[in-house]
Amino acid sequence: MKVCFFICMVCTLFLTGCWDEKQFKNVKLVLSLGFDQGEEGEIIQTVSIPTVNRASEGPGSESLQIVSTSANTPLHARDKIDQMISETYDPSKVKVVLLGEDLAKKNIYPILDDMYRSPRSNLNAYLAVVEEGTAKEVISMNHSGATRISNYIGGLLEAAVSSTHATGENLQLLCAELLEPGIDFSVPLLKIEDDGSLLTFNGMGLFHEKAYTGEKIGAEQTTMYMLLQGVKGRVARLTEKIDDNGKDEILDYVTVSVAENDRKMKVENKDGEIAATIHLDMSVKIAEYPSDHLYVKGRIEEISKKLSERLTEESVDIIAQLQEANSDVFGIGRRVKAYHPEVWKEIDWSETYPEISITPTVEVEIIQHGIIN
Amino acid sequence: MHSVARQDGWISLLIGALAIQVILLGIWVVAKSFPEDTLYTINDKLFTKWIGKPISILYILYFIGVGSLIILLFCRMISMWVLPNTPLWVTSSLLISVCMYMVSGGLIVLGRMYTMLSLLLGLLIFFIIIATKEMHLMYLFPILESGWGKVFAGINKAIFSFFGFIVSLVIFSKVEGSHVQKLKTIVYAHCFVTTFYMFTVFASFTFFSTSELKLVPEPVLYMLKAFTLPIIARIDLFFISIWVINVATTLATYLYMASLGLSDLFKREPQSHFIVLIGVIIFIISIYVGLDISRIQAFNKVVTNSGYIFSVALPLIMVPLSYFIRNRRKGESSS
Amino acid sequence: MGIFTRIFRNNRDKLADRHMSEPSGEKEVQCSRRLSENVEYILGAFHQTNDLKIRVLKKGEAALLYFESLAEHEKIHEKIFAPLEMGHADDVFQLPNAKKTSDLEEAVRTLLRGHAIYMEEGKKEISQFSVTSSFGRTPEEPQNEKVVRGAHDGFVENMMTNINLIRKRVEHRDLTIKYFKLGKKTNTNVSVIYMDGIADPTLVQEIETRLHSIDSDMIHSPGHVEEFIEDQSNSPFPQMLNTERPDRVAANLVEGRVAIMSEGSPTTLIAPATFFMFYQAPDDYNMRWFTGTFVRLIRLFSFIIAVGLPAFYIAVVSFHFEVIPDELIIPVKASINEIAYPPIIEGLVMVIIIELIREAGIRLPAPIGQTIGIVGGLVIGDAVVRAGLVSNIMVIVVALTAIASFVVPSNELSTALRLLTFPLIVLAGTLGFIGIVFGMLIILTHLTRLHSFGVPYFAPLAPLSLVDLKDTFVRLPMFMMKLRPKDAHALKPVALDPSREWKNRDGQNQSKQGSPGEKTSSTKDTKQ
Repeated sequence: MKVCFFICMVCTLFLTGCWDEKQFKNVKLVLSLGFDQGEEGEIIQTVSIPTVNRASEGPGSESLQIVSTSANTPLHARDKIDQMISETYDPSKVKVVLLGEDLAKKNIYPILDDMYRSPRSNLNAYLAVVEEGTAKEVISMNHSGATRISNYIGGLLEAAVSSTHATGENLQLLCAELLEPGIDFSVPLLKIEDDGSLLTFNGMGLFHEKAYTGEKIGAEQTTMYMLLQGVKGRVARLTEKIDDNGKDEILDYVTVSVAENDRKMKVENKDGEIAATIHLDMSVKIAEYPSDHLYVKGRIEEISKKLSERLTEESVDIIAQLQEANSDVFGIGRRVKAYHPEVWKEIDWSETYPEISITPTVEVEIIQHGIIN
Repeated sequence: MHSVARQDGWISLLIGALAIQVILLGIWVVAKSFPEDTLYTINDKLFTKWIGKPISILYILYFIGVGSLIILLFCRMISMWVLPNTPLWVTSSLLISVCMYMVSGGLIVLGRMYTMLSLLLGLLIFFIIIATKEMHLMYLFPILESGWGKVFAGINKAIFSFFGFIVSLVIFSKVEGSHVQKLKTIVYAHCFVTTFYMFTVFASFTFFSTSELKLVPEPVLYMLKAFTLPIIARIDLFFISIWVINVATTLATYLYMASLGLSDLFKREPQSHFIVLIGVIIFIISIYVGLDISRIQAFNKVVTNSGYIFSVALPLIMVPLSYFIRNRRKGESSS
Repeated sequence: MGIFTRIFRNNRDKLADRHMSEPSGEKEVQCSRRLSENVEYILGAFHQTNDLKIRVLKKGEAALLYFESLAEHEKIHEKIFAPLEMGHADDVFQLPNAKKTSDLEEAVRTLLRGHAIYMEEGKKEISQFSVTSSFGRTPEEPQNEKVVRGAHDGFVENMMTNINLIRKRVEHRDLTIKYFKLGKKTNTNVSVIYMDGIADPTLVQEIETRLHSIDSDMIHSPGHVEEFIEDQSNSPFPQMLNTERPDRVAANLVEGRVAIMSEGSPTTLIAPATFFMFYQAPDDYNMRWFTGTFVRLIRLFSFIIAVGLPAFYIAVVSFHFEVIPDELIIPVKASINEIAYPPIIEGLVMVIIIELIREAGIRLPAPIGQTIGIVGGLVIGDAVVRAGLVSNIMVIVVALTAIASFVVPSNELSTALRLLTFPLIVLAGTLGFIGIVFGMLIILTHLTRLHSFGVPYFAPLAPLSLVDLKDTFVRLPMFMMKLRPKDAHALKPVALDPSREWKNRDGQNQSKQGSPGEKTSSTKDTKQ
């Protein structure tokens, strides 16, 4: 009886075969995916498909195939692309999703819905917006260096994360901020250099609710911007002008690397008026200070005081930009909702946010100054 | 659960757990007064033969129903997350046959399997801990936004995940140990389960924003989907694979209880025939209901509601009855 | 059994020669006074076999019978003729090294054992002389259970030598040995060895009952015995431990297990065995416990690799390639892109090839065996990849699996593991990860359901006993193994009393107050 049953089981397993088998070797991998706005409301999808040829020793040679098509929805485009290539393409290892600037200015959720809905998609992918250009241009660009475009962009963004220029949020983490009212997000901006063979990280594009506002925090300010968000990569360097002695321009500057960064945000409700304070406590190490003389007593305190002032000014500037773009990246709205729900119900946050007062204070303490004084 | 009580789901869970704890005490009182009997023979003694037998049969049907529901929910999860094209009968027959093999070893084998496999929970917790680095406590606030009514409605959902405790009534007499020891075990087990659930609920509630959570039916899996370890990506697949084991053990428990009921009912010892019979019944039910969302939900509703009768109402009725019977027995023995 | 122990205990009351095994139930034939009749009977019993030598002595009045194939001429001379010539005795019957009987059937049996028998006309008596020739190997280290440090001797084909090796290691009166004669035609001597007072008497009883119930013409190896007495034959897992190492047997005896030996084979069976015993090697106990633990963990890790790695790889490349991390995805893709066959065929073919190479290598003499290794491993491995039949990652996976399966110290378990990879590969090829999990679940359930002589096979994992994990996943220092493992059902649980008391001496010297009593410091010891 048991044996019989067992044999039946084995037979059915063998005979019916493999329903969900999806041979890895028969799949065209797509590692980078780009979406642009078409002229008549449709979207243009561009994918780069690497094909690797086996070599008996060492890595095989690689060829890239770039396919672009316009369609109504991302999945529709995928079907169309499938008809153009051999085998089927599989987006489950997508590393970078690029959006053209025009498309990003609309609601971006419909583009990403397929990514969020499919169980096989890679939510660990980065999202980036191409400034003054289209995703198609970036994906099909003939960049110098032999690496794949997905590697290039991925590496670029990772470097930006580790040097505290970008938050490094993947699609999954963005989703929370995309859907939740009272919290917005920013996405790295990429720009093609003039000669067309290089990409640059060009700051963080600010989003309001589900669309790109067109405003950005420039690449010079992103480090401070990240620190204000409480995010710190492996290295966070800030270069500030703290002197103005007119002699030699270069002597006016100091570069510090942030060792520890402690951000405290408070949202207060004063009779229906929302006021937020952001307090940033930094311990920094001096990395570069050409005019040296750090052994002079009081010099270090002086520098740290000046630094605090300069950084506070910069923070005010950044926050002004944020409010102008109406992008609540710090999630002040969500905090209002969480801690002052009665106020939240009464106000329209998109209208209130640009008006509220946000006061940043930055306090810098120098804890090290390299191996010379 | 989140769909009803929003971000206050964890409060519902906590209250539900407390309520269950009370019921567990009741069950313990009942089981204590019949140290020799299983649930089915207790039914006979409490409700007399003519009412007790039908109740036992209903219990068996209930267990079969829960078993089928588990199979269905499990297969639906598998087909959504891992194997979208594999037909239902393959996964369900595989799971049922594995469980039948497990159950036919008897209670001792089940117990040993469970203690061994419980070590795997550690791995699951580890996976979830990986995800907690991205948690925002802010998402739990404002507390009680949707009001107490919704919280109590959430208990309804939360309590379902605890319905497995009826096991303690069925197998109480089969386990060695003094009554106090058993009570301790039951309470500890329940506390552990509650902590585990709380932990999971907390992790997923703080990871997803309130409005996103509405869209995500399986938050833990969805949460793990985006994480990558240096050697493996897509932790959710591994999580599901380990989860399969938990599902198998749960199903095996219900299978065991139902087959025990049948063998008690017909007073025949070899359970193996009954196990096969019940396995086949569960399989047929699962095929009949299918993976259609609306049908599963209807089935789910039936089973959950009957769960209230069998896991909450009946045990609570049994408590005064068992007191009454015990007193009468005492009276008889003293006179 | 009862009679046996009585004889054993009351040796003083009844002085009698003790036999290898009880001659119970066998018929007795009294010898007659006439020599020719006796010789006739014996010749008849052996069907006139040609190697039975009959030397007629005393001018036809007496005869000396022996098997020239079993007896040694020098011994005959030394035991019978030399004492006579030297004048120590007048008559063969007075020789002190003779064993006397009047039972012809017994004479037949002793002849088979290699004894010589002497009979005289007119006497109803037979003298038996042990003149057996033995061609024994020296107790060399067994080939399949080598150790780096520790004892380098092993069992041989002679049971007496083997028991000698054990008795040398366990010099205690409780070491008890019981003989059985198994096999109706082969009459193989089988012995059951255990420590009385430590081993569970019901276990010994059970083994004896099972041994007695064997009714077979031939018993030629312990493997033969094993099949008759093991609990569950429909299982890939060995339920008794096979070893050729005396130190291993001795250690297991003291833990309360029972050993079964048979004449003519160096392999000893140890029962009851648990799954994790197969992962313990004598080497572990000769190392520092850190290294011992490390090696143990490596070995257990090898179990997972040996059983699951090919299945895992196949599931990944044909179902869940999302799992491959980003950096690896292109290299893996490049390697399998142009392979003609699906991974499941690739995997099965490679695993079978490895088995072929292994099987071919075992039987061949060492120099050719190496050639097979080179041809199989290097040439086929390389050529198959170059030809594009198998991807090089699959070769790596299968090679790793093979290595991992050979890590297991026990040969039987290693074979069992390699057998288990096949169903898992098939399951992985049909259902991916879910299939593997189901396969593993079935294996685990099977392991939990197995019992070896009443002992749960998968102890101490199922039933979970945290205390006993000290000698399974890890090997804690010797002085912490205070209790014998529970799975052997030993009568005396305590294996050692505090043995590092000397540590307290220093402690007491330092704290001159003398207040810390023995209790506190001994608890400290256990925590270390």
